[in-house]
Amino acid sequence: MATAPAPPAPAPPPGGAPAGGPGPRTLPRPRPASAAAALTGAALLAAAVWSLIDLRINVATLADSAGNAADFLSRMLPLDFPPLAELAPPLLETLAIVTAATVLSVVLSVPLAVWAAGNTAPGRPARAAARAAIVVARAVPDVVLAVLFFRILGFGALTGVLAMGLHSVGMVGKLYADAVEQIDEGPRTALRAAGASRLQELVGGVLPQVLPAFIATALHRFDVNLRISVILGFVGVAGIGQEISHALGRLDYQRGMALAVVVLALCVAVELVSVAARRALLPGTEQRAGGLARLAARVAPALRARRAGARDAAEAPEGAAAAGADPRAASAAALASGRLTPRWTAGRVRRALAVGAAAAAVAASVAAVAAEAGAGGSRAPLEALALFWPPEAGGIGGRLLEGLLLTVQIAFAATLLGALLALPVGVLAARNVAPNSGVAQACRMFIVVVRGVPELILAIVFVVMIGLGPVAGTLALSIGAVGLLGKLVADSVEEVDPGPERALRAVGASGPQVFLSATLPQALPAFIGHLMYQLDVNIRSATVLGIVGAGGIGYELLNAARVQEFGTVTLITLMVFAVVMAVEALAVRLRRAAA
Amino acid sequence: MEPDTRPEAAADGAVVEFDAVTKSFGADAPALDEVSLTARAGEVVVLLGLSGSGKSTLLRHVDGLQAPTSGRVRVLGTDVGAASSRELRRLRRRVGFVFQQFHLVGPLTVLENACHGALGGLRAPRLGLPLYPRSVRRAALEQLDRVGLADRAFQRADTLSGGQQQRVAVARALLQRPEILLADEPVASLDPESAHQVMELIRAVAAEERLTVLCSLHQVDLALSWGDRVVGLRSGRVVMDAPTAGLGRDDAMAVYSRVGAPAPAPAA
Repeated sequence: MATAPAPPAPAPPPGGAPAGGPGPRTLPRPRPASAAAALTGAALLAAAVWSLIDLRINVATLADSAGNAADFLSRMLPLDFPPLAELAPPLLETLAIVTAATVLSVVLSVPLAVWAAGNTAPGRPARAAARAAIVVARAVPDVVLAVLFFRILGFGALTGVLAMGLHSVGMVGKLYADAVEQIDEGPRTALRAAGASRLQELVGGVLPQVLPAFIATALHRFDVNLRISVILGFVGVAGIGQEISHALGRLDYQRGMALAVVVLALCVAVELVSVAARRALLPGTEQRAGGLARLAARVAPALRARRAGARDAAEAPEGAAAAGADPRAASAAALASGRLTPRWTAGRVRRALAVGAAAAAVAASVAAVAAEAGAGGSRAPLEALALFWPPEAGGIGGRLLEGLLLTVQIAFAATLLGALLALPVGVLAARNVAPNSGVAQACRMFIVVVRGVPELILAIVFVVMIGLGPVAGTLALSIGAVGLLGKLVADSVEEVDPGPERALRAVGASGPQVFLSATLPQALPAFIGHLMYQLDVNIRSATVLGIVGAGGIGYELLNAARVQEFGTVTLITLMVFAVVMAVEALAVRLRRAAA
Repeated sequence: MEPDTRPEAAADGAVVEFDAVTKSFGADAPALDEVSLTARAGEVVVLLGLSGSGKSTLLRHVDGLQAPTSGRVRVLGTDVGAASSRELRRLRRRVGFVFQQFHLVGPLTVLENACHGALGGLRAPRLGLPLYPRSVRRAALEQLDRVGLADRAFQRADTLSGGQQQRVAVARALLQRPEILLADEPVASLDPESAHQVMELIRAVAAEERLTVLCSLHQVDLALSWGDRVVGLRSGRVVMDAPTAGLGRDDAMAVYSRVGAPAPAPAA
């Protein structure tokens, strides 16, 4: 039901011509497009159900693993925290790598976004090139980039920075380009009319409009990269992730899980800092936990609404001034005071301090990474790149296809399970649907907490409980889906036009009736988009989790990298890319039919 | 009319000349159709016409925000269609533009928005008040005082009312020390009270600075009392071009009648 995109039932055509039959038509003729979409949705749902069955994910398996939980707890307790002196270096290294990688992605994404956005692109070829660069960055997994850069740079911090930084451009560049495309063109035109150069126009007219979205996206990506850096630890990038990988490799669960708890705490701390940073840098913007693709889109309307409110507020003092003091006199006094810079208000001081702190953190991270950069350097870049071409199956083509199928199965099963968990939670987290605000807040809180737990930690927990294999990966991904999908669903339910809800409530409809007839039809296209996005995310995540023991194509990827069959690494990358592209094409068609 | 001292003005004092200008967007009917028009230095030319009649497009041709499909636009001695981007920038510095929707950069302060008027004379891109030279900030503050808003200098522009925002936009244009002022329905988005205030302001500064003005309006009475000349547009064509002296209200209203010949006869 979750994936079936049943189109909202349209009202019968007003005054439709009475047909020759038993009376006027009261149900619409099925449109071929929506029929095809419903068929596609049904096929996807069937694939997901089959995956669940084929992976043997059922109540019995879960009950078995519950028995293992006690055993697992006894093996991981008491947690063995390393002393701070031992803990601090890998922690700081992780933070430095993640900061430098995020900064790298921002520095690359800003010019790419300007080129890729339809309204600022210098020309068609430049736009196509920039968009291609962004798609490629998104398509090549960070793990593959890490394997590549190990060949060129050796096992240094710089490898992690480049791998994550370049891959992040796929998301950051896209969201930045979206933000640039959504700007109000008016101010830009006004600057051009005043004789501004192209660069002045972009900096003075475009940048102030997109800055909130740019900062929010960068902070969100920092959060994502922090989680990824832990996974990259399993393939050799230094930091806390590597420490976890080593501990688990020794079957030292007490130490491994202790470090996982540290990572969890770090993620929560980073989330708190990034909320504070957002508040300091973007005064007045509404605070919400980052929401991937929708983030940029939400910032603009929120700002516009705020602006409208502020404008109303501004009318009042003007009227008051006209009634009381002479506004001309106030203006003249301001001119006479000769003040040409704003006062240092508390807010401005806070903002300056936040900017200063951010700059210091970035400088320290870049310095730390640069200090380590000299460590490796085994091959010339082109020579290393040549190792990855042409793609080859290395005589295990059949195994690769099986692995790919397993990974896709994990993704489908996890998306279905995740949707079953996330849809109710997400819908109840929406203020306009929840029976009362307590339920909404509890669901929101639950989503935030789940979001806070890195998938890797979930995967490790499930792997230890259930054993290595696809079941652990599927369960980890489905829990993770609650964090992402639940949030997206809640946001899109809250964003629907409240008018129809009010109208139905006014005719006496009950809460569930209002939800089904007014809220759901409006939110449905968004739901379908989110589901397909979650499937896309899950295919990538399932690949990565394969590396840490969930099996599937990721496991083959890790093996190929270990035995230095780089052509096979390329082939696997292309296979995953093809699947992701196919899912994206399906998503586009489904959304179009549902809209 | 006073003697013309501007070097680029043609012998007859023309600073804006349209010569059979046509502008087409794709396959649609042209937005401008063989438009010929002259504005002399210091003249106030009011454009009348229905929405979509080509008024905005015409104004945007004057400072090269749009280039003609055919025909020639000469402004202050520059052939706008053939000008390099450097020449265009130089021309735009001398032409102020006030838009219907104000077009301020909302998140920036009022003073920084006024400073934008100086960008044409500054080299590097800039974001943030401290990056503008003191002299520019000082001049911008003076222009803000001229429109009565110097006390709002450090407020975010998007916290102002519509009328205030349009006054800031006027200050931004004045900072350019323009010779020509283009105004595209400058009060169409304002309530009557703010509209009156803004219109009086534009009239006053245009007179003080002896600006050549091209302004599109919907208020026929205002056009007749302020303009030296009224140009009527319909479907991209000039259907009337007459001095306001001796022109009656009904003659001007004829521009708005959907049918009939361009003759300024009262519609039956």
